[in-house]
Amino acid sequence: MEADADLPALLAAVAAGDRAALRRVYERQSVRLFGVANAILRDRDAAADALQDAFIKVARRAGQFDPARGSAEAWLGSIVRHAALDIIRARGRETPTDDPTLGDEAVAPEAEERLAASSEGRRLHECLAGLEPKNREGIVLAFVHGLSHPQIAARLGMPLGTVKSWIRRGLLALRECLA
Amino acid sequence: MIPTDPAERDALAGEYVLGTLDARAAAEVARAMETDPALREAVAAWEARLAPLTALAPPEAPPPGLWERIAASLDGPRQAPAVAKSRFLRVWALGASAVAAGLAVLLLVRPAPEQRLMTVLLTQRDQPAWLVEAQGGALRLASLNPQPVPSDRVMQLWALPQGASAPTSLGLIPAEQGRLTVTPSTIRPEPGMLIEITLEPPGGSPTGRPTGPILFIGRLAAARGT
Repeated sequence: MEADADLPALLAAVAAGDRAALRRVYERQSVRLFGVANAILRDRDAAADALQDAFIKVARRAGQFDPARGSAEAWLGSIVRHAALDIIRARGRETPTDDPTLGDEAVAPEAEERLAASSEGRRLHECLAGLEPKNREGIVLAFVHGLSHPQIAARLGMPLGTVKSWIRRGLLALRECLA
Repeated sequence: MIPTDPAERDALAGEYVLGTLDARAAAEVARAMETDPALREAVAAWEARLAPLTALAPPEAPPPGLWERIAASLDGPRQAPAVAKSRFLRVWALGASAVAAGLAVLLLVRPAPEQRLMTVLLTQRDQPAWLVEAQGGALRLASLNPQPVPSDRVMQLWALPQGASAPTSLGLIPAEQGRLTVTPSTIRPEPGMLIEITLEPPGGSPTGRPTGPILFIGRLAAARGT
């Protein structure tokens, strides 16, 4: 994630009701954020809805952004992801998951480059590399592509219960590794 | 139930951030975070740990006009000059009847089974405030959590169809909040439509667009398994 030094100041202006500042946040971040939503929804109309819902939240909650707790990019990304996840849950997770390229983004060189562009990303990448491959793939499919436990189980050809406990173990291993 | 065991709570926070919780469990975590600072901390720590993974999503340009849609769904306090406004209204009315015609054609071509659409309008702090159900062309609203309204203000109901650039007023909400049914004449409830309630001067917005803050907002979605 490229650090944008102006974003925290823009969010502070948004919190004070500055619509032009919100527009600048949109101009700087919408391409990245639309990609985040569309990776989960794989439907441009739904991804546009997610971005709209997310920016309404950003306008209302910008005052809750605390630069001491993380980057503005991470804060915006989390709002967009949860907006997309809300839409996918309301649809009963009927988003098709049989696209064979899903999850392979993790190994696409340009995706690796984007991940390695920040020191946090490089660290997370190293920690993910320490997990078993299916475990790593399960976490990426869930976080990046919004797949549910049953969808991940079907995709990796593993029993549902195994997938649930694997992913949980994977998360705890990541936490240890990043500590 | 949010577990009390610290390890279980932290794992739940991780799964919430990962996105694998189902709708009910995710809503439960979101609700508990309002009053549980330790859970909020745990979720924030997981957001920080996993945030770099969003870099794996390929960047993609959003559709043109999305910013205008976002700006329209926030408040629109700038009053357009009268001439421009009436032309805007004419264009809007034309557009609306074209949309209605399109819908009618769709309904004729594909007599879809009656779809039940629902949403819960949330407060700024994500507390449920109104249950909205759409059936046929009507919207039924039930207040879940009546909120005081300043005596010199009224609540106005709006709908923003997908792709529309401006919300349509569906009328004022009676002071005695409880249940009401509205049947919009120019638009038809559809999945993805935003429903919002704003605070307006007596008699409703003078501009035909929302002028006050959004009190409650939600997006219609097809109800399943009911």
